[in-house]
Amino acid sequence: MELTVNGKKRTVTDGATITTLLEELQINPLRVAVQFNQQIIKRELYERTPLHDGDTLEIITFMAGGS
Amino acid sequence: MVSESGVEHNVIENGGTLKFGGREFRSRLIVGTGKFPDYQTMQQAHEASGAEMVTVAVRRVNLDRTQESLLDFIDTARYALLPNTAGCYSAEEAIRTAMLAREVGLSDMVKLEVIGDQRTLFPDNEELLKATRALVKEGFVVLPYTNDDPIMAKKLEDAGAAVVMPLAAPIGSGLGIRNPYNIRIILEAAQVPIIVDAGVGTASDAAIAMELGCDGVLMNTAIACAKDPVAMATAMRHAMIAGRSAYLAGRIPKKLYASASSPLEGMIE
Repeated sequence: MELTVNGKKRTVTDGATITTLLEELQINPLRVAVQFNQQIIKRELYERTPLHDGDTLEIITFMAGGS
Repeated sequence: MVSESGVEHNVIENGGTLKFGGREFRSRLIVGTGKFPDYQTMQQAHEASGAEMVTVAVRRVNLDRTQESLLDFIDTARYALLPNTAGCYSAEEAIRTAMLAREVGLSDMVKLEVIGDQRTLFPDNEELLKATRALVKEGFVVLPYTNDDPIMAKKLEDAGAAVVMPLAAPIGSGLGIRNPYNIRIILEAAQVPIIVDAGVGTASDAAIAMELGCDGVLMNTAIACAKDPVAMATAMRHAMIAGRSAYLAGRIPKKLYASASSPLEGMIE
């Protein structure tokens, strides 16, 4: 299935969850927040959030910046 | 640190602590994390500045993983994180960014920016006020970046802002405090801490902010883009202490004519 992650198309295997996606992307879940189809998802729900074809995810973190 | 006299050095240096939103800081300086030549220099500059709070941007994770993570260079046990909504042009965008930032789980504070214009980066105060109200309701500790406008500062305070952050001059301009009289009026009316945010160019600008009676200063470019960021961070630390001390000491009034400091009696004839 195909997702949009941070504005880019990405193919993942069926049965993927937010947790498996983060693992695949080598992202530490403790340093990010995830918006899934316009909704902010609590960290404890990553494992229980299955991904479907056409889903849109935004994975954000803290970056260098002042104003 | 406690000296022989039993007085805390840092507290004396900074003239009491900076308190808001249930937090207390010994340093009155908040430093940014952007524009440094590299993360090592940033880390050293943070250390040299004496700051206990740093501001960070909220952005998409870089999926290419070619960059190092900023968070590897900030000891979050030592520095409080102040996520900002830089780059947001509407209340909606800023609220969404703040909500995501809080979800990272490292801070419920937000340096709230709603920008109105790309060239000046001046705030859109109408949207800012809207976002402040919404985020206060959501339980955030809100630090809005605003103009040096006393009416707006009061409105933000009434909306529940924990701190109000008027600009000294446009972001990154280094022009220093353009309107010290407005800052004074803001300070006179304020019931919450006033932290000057943006426009500081060099140490004297920070000292002037503190001499006026501001509760703190937030800066990024002045340190990060100085020829020697670590040396400038040190200068800023001293400027903050000097300015705060001078404010507490109470300056002499300005006068038009001279007033001799040596006695007029006992002159040799």
